Amino acid sequence: MTPTKNPLRQPRLSDATHAMFWGLATASLLILGILTGSRGLRDFDPALVSYAGAAVLSGFGIGYRYAMWLRRPPTRLYWYRGWQIFLAPQKLLSNLAHLARIVWNTIVLQRFIERRSHLRWTAHWFLAWGCILAAAVTFPLSFGWIRFETARANQEIYRAFMFGIPLGSFHLGTPFAELTFDILDVAAVMVLIGVFFALWRRGHDHGAWSVQQFSDDMLPLILLFAISITGLFLTISTHLMQGIYYGFLSQLHAVTVIFTLLYLPFGKFFHIFQRPAQLGVNFYKQAGAAGPQARCHRCGQEFASRMHIDDLKSVQAALGIQYQLAHGMHYQDICPACRRKNLALTQDGLWKSHDNRLRGN
Amino acid sequence: MIRREFFIDYSRCIGCKACVQACAECDTHRGTSMIHLETIERRDTLQTAPQICMHCDNPVCARVCPADAIKKTPDGVVQSSLKPRCIACSNCVVSCPFGVPKYMAEFEQMMKCDMCYDRSSIGKKPMCATVCPSGALTYTTMEEMQRTRPGIPVNSWKFGGEEVTTKVYVMVPRETTRVEIDLIQIQPTPPALPADPYDVALMLEMAQ
Amino acid sequence: MAKLPCPLPEIVHQFGPSLHTIPSGGWVRNPQDEHLVKTHCCFCGQQCGIQLRVNNNKVVGFEPWEDWPFNQGKLCPKGIKRYMQDEHPDRLTSPLQRVEGKGFAPIAWDAALDRVAAEIQRIQGKYGKDSFAVLTGASLVNEKAYLMGKFARVALQTANIDYNGRLCMVSSATASKKVFGIDRSANPWSDIVLADVILAAGANISETSPITTDYFWRARDRGAKIIVIDPRMTPIARNADLYIPVRSGGDIGIFNGMLHIMIQRGWIDHDFIAQHTTGFEEVARSVEKYTPEYAARIAGVPPAMIIRAAELFGPARTSFVLHAKGIEHHSKGVENCIAAMSLVLASGRIGREGCGYAMITGQGNGQGAREQGGKCDQLPGNRDISNPEHRKYIAEVWGVPEESIPQKGLSAIPLVEAIHEGKIKGLISICFNPIVSLPDANFTRAAFEKLEFYANIDFFLSETSRYADIVLAGSLMEEDEGTTTNTEGRVIRHRKAVLPPEGAREDWKIICDIARRLGHGDKFNFSGTEEIFNELRVATKGGVSDYFGITWDKIEKNNGVCWPCPTPEHPGTPRLYENGKFGHPDGKAHFIPVDWRPSAEMPDPEYPIILTTGRVVAHFLSGTQTRRIGALIDQTPQPFCEIHPVLATKLGIADGDYVKVESRRGSVVVHAMVVKTIRPDTVFIPWHWPLDRSVNNLTVRALDPQSFIPEYKICAVRVSKADAPHDAIASLEVQAGGVR
Repeated sequence: MTPTKNPLRQPRLSDATHAMFWGLATASLLILGILTGSRGLRDFDPALVSYAGAAVLSGFGIGYRYAMWLRRPPTRLYWYRGWQIFLAPQKLLSNLAHLARIVWNTIVLQRFIERRSHLRWTAHWFLAWGCILAAAVTFPLSFGWIRFETARANQEIYRAFMFGIPLGSFHLGTPFAELTFDILDVAAVMVLIGVFFALWRRGHDHGAWSVQQFSDDMLPLILLFAISITGLFLTISTHLMQGIYYGFLSQLHAVTVIFTLLYLPFGKFFHIFQRPAQLGVNFYKQAGAAGPQARCHRCGQEFASRMHIDDLKSVQAALGIQYQLAHGMHYQDICPACRRKNLALTQDGLWKSHDNRLRGN
Repeated sequence: MIRREFFIDYSRCIGCKACVQACAECDTHRGTSMIHLETIERRDTLQTAPQICMHCDNPVCARVCPADAIKKTPDGVVQSSLKPRCIACSNCVVSCPFGVPKYMAEFEQMMKCDMCYDRSSIGKKPMCATVCPSGALTYTTMEEMQRTRPGIPVNSWKFGGEEVTTKVYVMVPRETTRVEIDLIQIQPTPPALPADPYDVALMLEMAQ
Repeated sequence: MAKLPCPLPEIVHQFGPSLHTIPSGGWVRNPQDEHLVKTHCCFCGQQCGIQLRVNNNKVVGFEPWEDWPFNQGKLCPKGIKRYMQDEHPDRLTSPLQRVEGKGFAPIAWDAALDRVAAEIQRIQGKYGKDSFAVLTGASLVNEKAYLMGKFARVALQTANIDYNGRLCMVSSATASKKVFGIDRSANPWSDIVLADVILAAGANISETSPITTDYFWRARDRGAKIIVIDPRMTPIARNADLYIPVRSGGDIGIFNGMLHIMIQRGWIDHDFIAQHTTGFEEVARSVEKYTPEYAARIAGVPPAMIIRAAELFGPARTSFVLHAKGIEHHSKGVENCIAAMSLVLASGRIGREGCGYAMITGQGNGQGAREQGGKCDQLPGNRDISNPEHRKYIAEVWGVPEESIPQKGLSAIPLVEAIHEGKIKGLISICFNPIVSLPDANFTRAAFEKLEFYANIDFFLSETSRYADIVLAGSLMEEDEGTTTNTEGRVIRHRKAVLPPEGAREDWKIICDIARRLGHGDKFNFSGTEEIFNELRVATKGGVSDYFGITWDKIEKNNGVCWPCPTPEHPGTPRLYENGKFGHPDGKAHFIPVDWRPSAEMPDPEYPIILTTGRVVAHFLSGTQTRRIGALIDQTPQPFCEIHPVLATKLGIADGDYVKVESRRGSVVVHAMVVKTIRPDTVFIPWHWPLDRSVNNLTVRALDPQSFIPEYKICAVRVSKADAPHDAIASLEVQAGGVR
């Protein structure tokens, strides 16, 4: 595959300007989405304005960070190549089918985490799906995209709207209704289960202690715990304690959510946005395996796809890594095993010529 | 805490794989051995070579990582890829000048030697350097090494035009200041030597 | 008994060997729930210090023990994965009895022990005391080794007790006694580092005693020269200053040839020889004919190599000679060792710092177990069973009439031959897997099929246990307290990390229970292994290997104590023969002339290739333990045949091909490993595997006339390319004897 243009060409804008642009663009898009989705704020719930505001700020941060991330030559190359391979017209259909399969395995079931450890997988699966569930409800609600109202004719019947379009109606007291109103509690419980398993793992795994950091590994768990527990207390307050402390609790809940939204672009949670790149890499590897392979200059064995090695050479060039050897050779054409062997042979050679010199003298 | 460094002396290696077996016992990469033990070419020689991560000052693996997943601790130890970030692209695996990172297909993650961070971060020796029966892998003070070994420790390398400085040292003859890797040494056996230095049959003939 | 009770694959299915592996993702460990037990590796005579991680009476891992002086935390792969023999799915947790047609079924302890005692009484009543034999092992702690000797002599009163050290140390032991007067390495390992020349003969130290590598390299760092003598280039040899690829069995050529040159060029210590030795003149005369050319013909190497060896070794200021099985496993094993010792004596470099001699012990307690009475000709304290005074002393210690102690019995191989001939009808064995480890395995199998009754004590159902009528579930090293004596003669403590699993018992309790049933309970009334050790101290008092001054506490305080240690105040004796004082009554060392003679089976037109055998680093001896550990089987899954490209080309064999290696006694089919690091007239196969993968199907049942060690290191074979085998045994897992 020969790229039609060099994705690693020197960019015109500075990184910060470029990222600022994409941050602002993301935030503007969100605002535009809120305005149109809530039919000019008609469906917007002013009580939730702080959440929506934090989401817009977070959107700016995510856009900014993502754009910065894509400025890295290796990332940019994969981004470009990933789309190029995925969108290749003759392959698009089979690519879509493959995409469905890997989305199911890596994102829905997260099987690769299960293979790392069952405990880690249990924790992550509950955390991930608790959060996704909660986000799927709260963002549309706070953006005014979804709205509920009681039917005029019957107080027992609720009607749901999305973007102002009626989605249907349901009876209060039905299991469906219970589930709908308690969906955030379900999500909170899932997250708490995940937090519990994650903390248990960190408390019992000597290996995890030694490499963990507070800001990257403990803070996210604390935040998720805080959101979930304050959210659950809101329900408890409403249903079991006649609304006692409701105001204070809802403010506390809002603070935890807003802090998390603002943390989103910078901390561990950013992997939610980065991670889909794994899908692109998957296509890249598939295409690479189908194409010609690179053979090691030393042992003659195939060790990577030709495309990968060629791309890496341009990435390395963009990064200023100078692997060119004498006689037009390139160190990138040596496989990792031969590099390791060569290190020992080089040391051996140094000692042998040292000994020869001593003998010569 | 006395400052100790990691030293490799390939020439001492006897290929026993104690390092490989001990590595899998380390708590930060449980059950998975991160060290490489290469048999150079069993047909010709018994030479073997252990390879741990050299922990570069400016690690090529981290530079070529699209996911910004490879981090160095303040004490200079380059860690395995961050699990949430690594997108399993293997850029690091094929770029590392020392051939160190391992792509673990079943976990879809790059893992590598982290100098047994659970041990070295609290002043203990890494597993491989503790058990190594030959001293090919040694974790001790610079002073001790200079006092007891005939060579000197060097941590400066050149791969083509790329200069690399590492936290880990290699033992080389005293006149060496930098280990330079170039085409000449990429031959299976450096041409300066007799064709088959370890062929027992030739030995028996040559000394006749 | 008879043949196996049921088809082999069924036994393997039920009792293994199966693999204990680390779960995917590894162990989850919390050090706060664990404690560390400082003890020693159970494999090999170096007895490296190691800490076992114990959680809730389970061994869950290891931690290096950096404060133990000998190995300072260093370990080989076997030591590292040793903890995986604990919590093993194959572990026997009940006595078993043979059930014809079915295999083995659990039986109650009382019933099992009653049956053993009844059979001993029946067989001894019918055929005489000596018709019931005892086979014991050198991986037992001193206490158990002592107990086995006492059990045979007091409870069974059979002369026929021997041990698997017969396959290991006896050549060097015999030679050492004859030449120096004491059977022990002369120096602590710390002297290796201070030597200017190290000569290692028949010692693949990087695989069989890997920690010693560090001692070699530390000497080399100081500028020491290293000479390695071995038919195969070993990893140490690769970096040696002189590597001599001797033809197996040709070692005397090198040693005598070196001595010839040393005498000629005056590189001998005349003063030392005159003051501290006898018999030099005779030896000097005997090596007169060993000119470099004559010596080289015997050794199968160019004369220049022998000259060079003499030039390196002769004029050195300090030197250290080590040897191991490579020169000992010969029908002239004792003579090989004596020839090496002559070099040490002639140079006068022994008994001082950096000057000395050592034999590298193979088994865990190879040194200790042979001193405590497990050998057919010895009583505790290295005492001679045919010496009336020695017998009298031990009879007093044991409280038995001197005449009740049997005389010298059969050594291991003749003992198995006596079983084959029907002279020995009953057997009890512990810590010994002769079906895998004895030469001429087809003969061994046939012998075991003839036993009327066989009781076996083991923690796994070994290849030999399969022939037993009763298997008694015993204990691992880490399940009991005890001591071993390492290759330096240093007595050290093994600590109990865990209890034996429910249903298994400590070995010493099993032995004492049988003795009780035989009516000798009063002599076996021990409350623990320390009490046995204290009796051993008294029994060895005044003997050559005097442990009287060694207590468990003292071992603890001093990081081990080297014997002889005659009094509680005595610090022990790390270095023997200081000031030229040797172990013989005359205080001198005795030169003994040796002349080369051919091995029992030399190559001929029908079987033109030399076969030599040995070990690999990942496995220990017959593999009962290490073939059950996943990581070690991963490292070396199956045996192979090392063959030089020159020979391989001649035979049309390529690397990785299946080859059939045949001798007059049997055959194996294994993969070829084509390497330039072996003599072109020799092939090598490691011996840790059973059945059709057992190189001992090929080895020759020829013994050294003095030490009775078998000639494992040379026999004649032919090699041919073979098809992939698909029979029932080949289809077993590799650890059980299959091939892939």
